Amino acid sequence: MTDIPMRGGSAGASGDAPFDAVATFERHRAELKASKRVWNLLALGAFTIALGLSIWISQFYPERLAEGVPRIFEYFGTIMPDLQWDRLFEGRDAQGNAVPGSIIFWYTDFWTYVELLWETILMAITASLLGTAVAFVLSFPAAANLAPNGWVYWFSRRFLEFCRGVPEILLALVFVFAIGIGPLAGVLAIAIHTAGALGKLFAEVNENASDRPVEGITAVGGSWTEKMLYGVVPQVMPNFFSYAMLRFEINVRASSIIGFVGAGGIGAELNRVISFYSDDRVLAVLILVILMVTIIDLISEDIRHRFIGKENF
Amino acid sequence: MLKLDKLTRRFGDNLAVNNANLTIPDGQMVGIIGRSGAGKSTLLRLLNRLIDPSEGQILFGDHDIARLKGKELRAWRSDCAMIFQQFNLVGRLDVVTNVLTGRLHDMTAWRTVAQVFTPRERAFAIQALDRLGMAHTALQRAETLSGGQQQRVAIARALAQEPKILLADEPIASLDPMNAKVVMDALRDINRQDGITVICNLHTLDTARSYCDRIIGMQDGRVVFDGTPDQLTNSMAREIYGAEADEAFNEAATSTSIPTSEPAPARVPA
Repeated sequence: MTDIPMRGGSAGASGDAPFDAVATFERHRAELKASKRVWNLLALGAFTIALGLSIWISQFYPERLAEGVPRIFEYFGTIMPDLQWDRLFEGRDAQGNAVPGSIIFWYTDFWTYVELLWETILMAITASLLGTAVAFVLSFPAAANLAPNGWVYWFSRRFLEFCRGVPEILLALVFVFAIGIGPLAGVLAIAIHTAGALGKLFAEVNENASDRPVEGITAVGGSWTEKMLYGVVPQVMPNFFSYAMLRFEINVRASSIIGFVGAGGIGAELNRVISFYSDDRVLAVLILVILMVTIIDLISEDIRHRFIGKENF
Repeated sequence: MLKLDKLTRRFGDNLAVNNANLTIPDGQMVGIIGRSGAGKSTLLRLLNRLIDPSEGQILFGDHDIARLKGKELRAWRSDCAMIFQQFNLVGRLDVVTNVLTGRLHDMTAWRTVAQVFTPRERAFAIQALDRLGMAHTALQRAETLSGGQQQRVAIARALAQEPKILLADEPIASLDPMNAKVVMDALRDINRQDGITVICNLHTLDTARSYCDRIIGMQDGRVVFDGTPDQLTNSMAREIYGAEADEAFNEAATSTSIPTSEPAPARVPA
């Protein structure tokens, strides 16, 4: 790279005015970097202190980790099925009993699990639909650029914060207490959390929507609702759909856990086999849960990609 | 008849529109000229209350438009259609639905929510589109159209409102000369045939001269000229435009005059 010829003489030789542009720039750059360096060092220091504190408080020490890791494998040892190759595919005998060592013996309660998994998926679908509906309605007053007035904005924001601030499991406990053990409690808990989390995301999508179509609908004499429905909704629908599908994937996982507190789904069964037996039944349930979550994720991802693909022609 | 009485709008310390007094009879085609920031756009937006006035009155018949609220304000906006420089269509809705939004004001709540339009409303919208030569695009998404086509759809939407007044805020500033001519011809046609008052912000002088019955010049928020195109002398126009005079007098990019000897110039990127 050769020097760029500059007005006012040979490069660097003299302190001519045109060179001062370069020198000034370099000086400002150095100053900027220096001032950034101070902040970076401060941030690094604060981070190190926070990390040290959290390690100390959580007792996250290497030797404890070293002690714990084998126990994880130990636990897996206890939940491993005792499968035998020669009997693996053997059916039930004349008395209708499964042969120990066969898959049928390991998965004696297979159809119970499937029924519960189905319940889990239905819970996730219902909760996602309910939550998305509430999030949809509240996302317009909760968007800073669309809210009809400050009060409505403030209240819808705070309501959404409350909905997503309370952990699902806590909501589930309350609902189990209030309306009894069963999937309804779980559906309500997940729906409320979904409304809060999606409502915020939807509101942010709304805030990014172009105001030109909205102005267009204002100018034809449209009411607030009409401005939202005709001016904003067509713009934000693809994003809403994508976020709602992502949330559905999260809700499938959430609804398989929420049964631990009696709020329906496969979680109750998982809790039961862990607390009462801690044997190969735990692994049997875990495998099915992981399979279900993976399959749902794949299907949902496929739908989202098809949808996005279609949107972009 | 539209009457502006001491109409003023402040933004902070800045007087965007300063004490405007105008009387616009029904059926007139009015061009508002002036350089950027002269207050043309603010004046137009005051008329359909996209911006609220700070002081003064806007009288239409016996009603003071400046005081309207809620339902009455929406009714006024429905009577006072507007087209915009950037068209302001809903890009992801199809063309005919965009035009049908011009009917929203007369529709019952459940029909607007469910997007149910009657066959009569659809026929009306298609006729409006057909008048602008855009009926063939009715089922296309608005965002797939070119700028000139979108502006014609926007005019069809305005027609669907069956307005008494049509406001046009720099309707041709984003268009090439060919499309600019089509759009201005359409506005003149609506003014002549339907007797709708057209009030149009224009940046270029020759367009205002060749299309409008009356020209209003604005400078720093004040109305500094009000008269026929003949009364607008070159020296007067130079004063209105100030530093932008050369651009306004001779800006091929947004002018509607197409040279006949050579083909229309290619579209100039914005």
